[in-house]
Amino acid sequence: MKTLSEESLLLPNPLREGLVEERIPEPAAMVIFGASGDLARRKLLPALYSLTRDRLLPARFAVLGFGRATLTDDAFREEMRRGCEEFARRRPVDPALWAAFARNVFYQQGAYDDPAAFLRLKVRLEEIEHTLGLPGNRVFYLSTPPSAFAPVIRSLGHANLAPKPAPGQPFSRVIIEKPFGIDLQTARALNTEVHDILAEQQIYRIDHYLGKETVQNLLVFRFANGIFEPLWNNHFVDHVQITGSETVGVEARGGYFEQAGSLRDMVQNHLLQVLSLAAMEPPVAFEADAVRDEKLKVLKALRFIPESDFEHQVVRAQYAAGSIGGQTVPGYRSEPDVSPRSTTETFVALKLFIDSWRWAGVPFYLRSGKRMPKRVTEIAIQFKEAPHLLFGKRGETIRPNVLSIRIQPDEGIALNFGSKLPGPAMEIAPVSMEFRYGSSFGVEPPEAYERLLLDCLLGDGTLFTRGDEVEASWSWVSRIHQRWAAEVAAGRTTLDSYPAGSWGPEAADRMLAADGRAWRLP
Amino acid sequence: MSRDAEREHANFERFARGETIPVEVGEIERELGALWKRASSAGDTHAGAAVSRAALWNLVIPTRGAGALAKTKALVDEIAQGVPVRAITLCLDDPGDVNAGALAGGGGLSATIESNVVSQPGGARVVYSEEITLRGPAGAETHFGALVRALQIPGVPTAALWMDAAMPVALLTRELLPVTDRLIVDTGSCVRPPHLYDLQRLAAQAHPLPVADLGWLRLGSLRLLFAGLFDPPVGGAPLRRATRLSVRHRPRGDLSALLLVSWLGQMLGWRPLRSVQTSDGGLRFDFTRDDGARGDAEPEVQAYLVPAEGACDASGVLAIELAVDGRDDYVVCRTAMDQASVQLPIAPAKAVKLDSYSDAELCVAALGPRGRDPLFAKCLAYAGGLWALEPQTTVSQR
Repeated sequence: MKTLSEESLLLPNPLREGLVEERIPEPAAMVIFGASGDLARRKLLPALYSLTRDRLLPARFAVLGFGRATLTDDAFREEMRRGCEEFARRRPVDPALWAAFARNVFYQQGAYDDPAAFLRLKVRLEEIEHTLGLPGNRVFYLSTPPSAFAPVIRSLGHANLAPKPAPGQPFSRVIIEKPFGIDLQTARALNTEVHDILAEQQIYRIDHYLGKETVQNLLVFRFANGIFEPLWNNHFVDHVQITGSETVGVEARGGYFEQAGSLRDMVQNHLLQVLSLAAMEPPVAFEADAVRDEKLKVLKALRFIPESDFEHQVVRAQYAAGSIGGQTVPGYRSEPDVSPRSTTETFVALKLFIDSWRWAGVPFYLRSGKRMPKRVTEIAIQFKEAPHLLFGKRGETIRPNVLSIRIQPDEGIALNFGSKLPGPAMEIAPVSMEFRYGSSFGVEPPEAYERLLLDCLLGDGTLFTRGDEVEASWSWVSRIHQRWAAEVAAGRTTLDSYPAGSWGPEAADRMLAADGRAWRLP
Repeated sequence: MSRDAEREHANFERFARGETIPVEVGEIERELGALWKRASSAGDTHAGAAVSRAALWNLVIPTRGAGALAKTKALVDEIAQGVPVRAITLCLDDPGDVNAGALAGGGGLSATIESNVVSQPGGARVVYSEEITLRGPAGAETHFGALVRALQIPGVPTAALWMDAAMPVALLTRELLPVTDRLIVDTGSCVRPPHLYDLQRLAAQAHPLPVADLGWLRLGSLRLLFAGLFDPPVGGAPLRRATRLSVRHRPRGDLSALLLVSWLGQMLGWRPLRSVQTSDGGLRFDFTRDDGARGDAEPEVQAYLVPAEGACDASGVLAIELAVDGRDDYVVCRTAMDQASVQLPIAPAKAVKLDSYSDAELCVAALGPRGRDPLFAKCLAYAGGLWALEPQTTVSQR
């Protein structure tokens, strides 16, 4: 077989110019750490298979799983095949396509802190690359427990598996799952450790919410349509509600959730990322750093909740026994691996302000909880009332205009407004104009992981979180944790309770009622 | 139940099943509105199935004769599964058509409406988009322009799908192009390469509208695979040293092959010198990379269109082979309808899946971002230039 000259590495491929077919990455190998875990089987391999099915991966592409479990290549392939059959968007699995895809799927056993295992990994990876004619482009996916992030990255560095970028050289990128730290201090420490080995442009901190079509559409909706942005400010917006609710409890993750709680698990990453996209200023370009610069400004402009207002702006609670979907479910403290005296919150509601010209005086209400009646994530922009009411003088209620952006499920956008009821009387009823991805475009949007894996392979970091964004959000969230820790230390924990299957504790309702507002029923 | 109510009920049942309903030409919108209203209220009460009426495009499809109309309607049914459109099919009857004029009530225009239903996962049905068919005898095309303008959903872009060469081209150029946002053609339906000139003229008349070509889109998988051979670690260096290109194609695939040669010539800066007819019925094009070279210059690259047989999709292209320095072959070769082998000097040959797209899937792609490909217009012009070269000899040099 022929070897390559230095010259050929430096010349770009002119046949890629002007191709509008699809965004196809260069040939590459993806190494998945934690490959025998749930995420690889439920999300990562199904996403890679669906991308292959949609012809969005290059013809030369390999997957090398790395994990503690002892598995052969064939056993790993079989396990992943079952995962694809159950979870891939593109189902049923095409046997011929799977056979071609699986030929380039491999497995390597090893421990995350064993330098020798990483040297063996390097040899195996180079063999695969040589056999398949891959150029050495690599993506390392850290689908491991957070405690393994730093050891894996150190080991990558020691084995020289992920060299810093240089012109004309193959790329090495690292995707890091959440949570990135557990507070500001640990996030900073992890950033420092990661930056010792990798350049920021090699790091892709994943938040799968950002891969959802509606979250991306938020930017299009705001900045590609002339009619909404002029309304997107404190002159017209009364308040904003962001809800991230789940029907599930902690399931088998009681041990993890005891340490995390809703504020860490949902608010610090998902909801604050969504908030920053909803509230940011227009970026100068649709490029990774331009978008992330604007998101960062929002996170930095979050007003720290003053001590005097803490009880009016922060509510935390735990679910008690109740009913979900017709089934009786236990309370949080009765879940496996949860302390009967736990003070970990499974629900949090926040009222926060963004100190900026655009959003001065506009409250943002965030809530996230487990064991709620519905699984839904949405942003609701509630507009101010008309300045002079011609109607509604006979006692009928005129509801405010609400623009709701549904992130999951049934991704779409709805605008509520009042309309005259047909008939001789001047009666007004609320109506809704809805756009849904499923019915308007006739196709279901791709899975978030598909989009994000593809973006990483293409080197597009727009939908990933930058290190300074993570630190800014932790900086704001950690103040709340510190206050809660002080309450615990003083023996006066303010922890409410709500029955499973409800929309949260009464204290959350009172928080909005004090402002003359109410939570939406999404 | 009164006779009118019975008729309305029967029409609604047919509409919900996706069957055609004859209507007065002047009553199309009103009838559609009534049926959708009824479908909407029925959807509220029957099995909880939501009814959405959606259209991302007005899609106008002129066609001629009963046979072509049947094919077009089948195509629209399939397109509706991929993208919601208001399809407006314009059909001129041929004199021999069995049903010609039967529906027209006195030899004028006739109209039918129907819904296209998209099945949702889990069995729920959503009535989705609508199809209007206007049919009339030769000469009826004088009415089609005004009817299309009346039936376009406002605020929704319009595409004209021009695939039937038997339709009077003036209908497209005078009536449809002024109200069209995208023109879709199919070089794959051109019987011989001279039809290329007709398409070039149409594209020129449509300018600045985007022109999408189903034939070009059909070649998309092959072009992607071939382009992928020169990704790192190979890089673009071998392309600069290419000496011979062969595109093997089935006899009706010469236009596709010509477009592929044009793509490479356009992207790699090859300047055509001459064309030569080969003894096996194929063609050879000689190129230079030198902008200032004279017409009698020695060729630096030779590209062959080679007629051959083999399992193939509608593109008709069987293989692309590029020789570099006379020895290293970079090859994408179809091994079955949906399989190809890719070969390059630095790695063993690999079998890959090569999807073939139906015409409806290609139409859906043409209505998306892939239908705005500026490269196609350049390659079409380049192909026209190649075809305009008069073949000089009949000697095979392969």
